[in-house]
Amino acid sequence: MNIERIKNELAQAWTVAVKDVRVYYLRPGMIMFGFAMPFFMFFSFSVQREMGAAEGVARLLAMTVFFTAGAAGPFIIPTERRIGTYDRLLAAPMSLMTLLLGKTAVGTIFAVAVSGVALLAGLLFFGTTILQPGLLAAGILLGAFSFSTLGLVFGSMPTTNPGDVQMPSTLLRWGLLFISGVFIPLGEMAPAARAIAYLSPLTYAQDVMNHAVLGKGLINPWLDLAVLALSGALFLWPSIKMHQRARVLGR
Amino acid sequence: MNNAIEVENLTKYYDKFLAVDHVNFTVKQGEIFGFLGPNGAGKTTTQRMLTTLLTPTEGRILINGHDLARDSYPAKQQIGLVPEESNVYTELTAWDNLMFTASIYRVPRGERAKRAQELLETFGLWEKRAIKAENFSKGMRRRLSIAMAIIHKPSLLFLDEPTPGLDTQSIRAIWKLIRSMNAEGTTVFVTTHQIEEANQLCDRVAIISHGKIAAIDTPERLKANFRRAQSVEVAFEGEMAEKSPGLESMPGVTTQVKVGDKLRLYTDDPSALLPRIVQYAESHALRIVSLNTLGPSLEDVFLEITGGQVGIVTNEIQENNPRRKGMGGRK
Ligand SMILES: Nc1ncnc2c1ncn2[C@@H]1O[C@H](COP(=O)(O)OP(=O)(O)O)[C@@H](O)[C@H]1O
Ligand SMILES: [Mg+2]
Repeated sequence: MNIERIKNELAQAWTVAVKDVRVYYLRPGMIMFGFAMPFFMFFSFSVQREMGAAEGVARLLAMTVFFTAGAAGPFIIPTERRIGTYDRLLAAPMSLMTLLLGKTAVGTIFAVAVSGVALLAGLLFFGTTILQPGLLAAGILLGAFSFSTLGLVFGSMPTTNPGDVQMPSTLLRWGLLFISGVFIPLGEMAPAARAIAYLSPLTYAQDVMNHAVLGKGLINPWLDLAVLALSGALFLWPSIKMHQRARVLGR
Repeated sequence: MNNAIEVENLTKYYDKFLAVDHVNFTVKQGEIFGFLGPNGAGKTTTQRMLTTLLTPTEGRILINGHDLARDSYPAKQQIGLVPEESNVYTELTAWDNLMFTASIYRVPRGERAKRAQELLETFGLWEKRAIKAENFSKGMRRRLSIAMAIIHKPSLLFLDEPTPGLDTQSIRAIWKLIRSMNAEGTTVFVTTHQIEEANQLCDRVAIISHGKIAAIDTPERLKANFRRAQSVEVAFEGEMAEKSPGLESMPGVTTQVKVGDKLRLYTDDPSALLPRIVQYAESHALRIVSLNTLGPSLEDVFLEITGGQVGIVTNEIQENNPRRKGMGGRK
């Protein structure tokens, strides 16, 4: 790969992302699963517990990043497969990785934007101060990346029906939400539960938000960021495999 | 000079179903090559393999000398693809659809607007450039989808059944465009289930049936084979077809088949047969309810070429394909 080719591929990934932003951000599916869900979840689960404002904001941010980033992948790719526009992208002179990075960027940008709204809400309504803005930004970005590629795994399943993947992906996200120290802080978990929590990337996103907003967390924030970046890269692998599978199956 | 397409032993199984069966052919640069076959023959499957969208089970594909299995990138740069369904982004305007494709294909930035304008004008969409494609008719979407496929000036253009369901005007426009692109040097690979389309457009035609290529030749030479598959259909008033003795042994008739209340007589010279049938009716005091000559149906041609028996015609083909030159209900 020469420099020229790499520049082209990056431009192509960006073109795909911008197009998807324009075409899909205002779709009901995206608004429902991406925008409304985290706020709904936050308010329905937070009223029960006595909780400080800063804790609430850290939790809202983690949930927002988690839900919005993962909303795009499972929705967009099966939709495009069904109407045939995905073929246009697959036949274009760019690598599969480029295409997937473009699709990842869609979820990442969506998550960053909606997190911005959540952050603003936190600052305005709860009067929270952010202790480490730089860490917060890095956490949101890498968390969005990780959850976006996780969503892409579902989007990459060889199907032309978004309904087929919406269910399993929603189930997984709910499951992760409850094991990842979002509702029950990591420190209050039984050792067995905590061991499971360490398997979920959401745990690290919540921890990094706690560091940034509250100034306290259980894991080293650098480790949090590293896990988010690495898991994001790892999730691309099953997506590539499933795309290859789809090309064999003809879907 | 390289061949534009070289295919060796190309095979595709969907699970256990054999859709394309050890197919071999080459397409020369500068040719319009037709891939003609009925629904389900394996045309789309073949074309999807040629355009990297589908992984072959077996076989080798060279596009302008590049082996697709080794490195598809140079081939993808040279290919333009018009799929069966017009895959435009309905949420984007015609203009934005073209700009998006131009960017994906890395058309130099300074040329994108110029080419988009040229294409929109060619396809009669310039006035509609700012309208979202969701408001376009089927023919307009098809034209836009073709424009998107050629904005990077591909040297090899694939079209999968470009015309079914379109109005005559759109069909003519698409044929004209294919011819003019070809005149400027573009190689064209077009699938179709319509003999007439292959006949009008193609330098050479491959006939595919059940995943196998039955013949590859120029339309003229293929038509020599088609001739024996012509027929005359006649219906007599009141009489059951079987009760018309002697028709089958009439000179020029090769086979006789009963189709509903009609008799179909296969012949390689329908015009010579018609007066004989009229004469026959007069001498047997029969009234002719209808009398038609039928061009060869695609299915007939396949059977003819693959050595099957002429006259076993499936319903679907019967409805769609014979070109009736009706003489109407003569009384
Ligand atoms: N993805 C698929 N999975 C299973 N069978 C398929 C798939 N795509 C096509 N087929 C089957 O393969 C055969 C050839 O299909 P196709 O190539 O689309 O034919 P054509 O384009 O000539 O109409 C058909 O019998 C069709 O049902
Ligand atoms: Mg087809």
